[in-house]
Amino acid sequence: MKKLALALIVAVPLALLAWTAFLILSAPSYDWNANASPAQLDAAAALRDHLYRQAAYTITWAIQLGYLAWLAFKWSAQKPAAERAGG
Amino acid sequence: MKKLAIGVYVLITLALMVWGYYQAIYVAPLDEKQGEIYRIFFYHVPIAMVSSVFFAVSLAGSIGYLAYRYSRPERAQIFDAWALAGAEVAVVYCTIILVTGPIWGRRAWGMWWTWDARLTTTLVLWLIYMSYLLLRRFAAGSQMQTVAAVLNIFGALDTPIVYFSTHFQKVIPTQHPAPVFGGGPDSGVKDPRMLAAWGWNLLAWLAWGLLILALRYRVERQQQKIDAAEAQRALEA
Repeated sequence: MKKLALALIVAVPLALLAWTAFLILSAPSYDWNANASPAQLDAAAALRDHLYRQAAYTITWAIQLGYLAWLAFKWSAQKPAAERAGG
Repeated sequence: MKKLAIGVYVLITLALMVWGYYQAIYVAPLDEKQGEIYRIFFYHVPIAMVSSVFFAVSLAGSIGYLAYRYSRPERAQIFDAWALAGAEVAVVYCTIILVTGPIWGRRAWGMWWTWDARLTTTLVLWLIYMSYLLLRRFAAGSQMQTVAAVLNIFGALDTPIVYFSTHFQKVIPTQHPAPVFGGGPDSGVKDPRMLAAWGWNLLAWLAWGLLILALRYRVERQQQKIDAAEAQRALEA
């Protein structure tokens, strides 16, 4: 159970990082279609905005949860030594 | 009782996070000029503002350590733990600023990065505090904490430079806009719904930051006690 929890707190930030990369890479490129109409260009820009906003929010949580995972590891690694030290 | 208080605090923090997200995505109206991409503001700006709290905690910790390192060693260790915890959380927050900023900049300015005053001074601040953390991690010896505390104080000098870097646009041209608050006559958030969303997210990220700061402090104090016990055992052997 404990191993599963530890695996999860590592996997979630990594999955969020991968998701961020996917969001950025899947956004339509700036020159996606030279013959696009203004409406199509507007739609592509709106989609880019949406994906980039999602990417910014996702990477924020990837970093925060990644740090929390590192803290959890550090804490659990301290336990045996803390018991020996009487802490 | 203590566990209950911590549990309540965690629940309040998570509720603030959810509420802040809801406000940012569903309540705050779209910006006329930037469209949806401006919503990065509700994470980027509060996180940048809250990071200064942790830089201040770290600075106070280092000053306290230097002040008490001879007269009250135990108290100095407490200050040192706060200095390290503050610096680490501040670096986490600063990393987020440096990552979310370019994502916003790519859409708003058409480029990921530019070497303007605000971006460069923020990067320098991040590098100084990364070097502080690396020094703490890899240096050994009795003087390490003192050297780290001095480096921390020099690093903290960069925080007001980051804030004021956009105030001198005539001297140093900057791509980055002026601070949202106190940045001149045109600064500030005009729409009350945007202001509310910003305020809730500021509160949420402050609550979250204080939670991980307290956790990091506890881990560091534990480490100090382990190190002291091991040093004592080595002396007795």
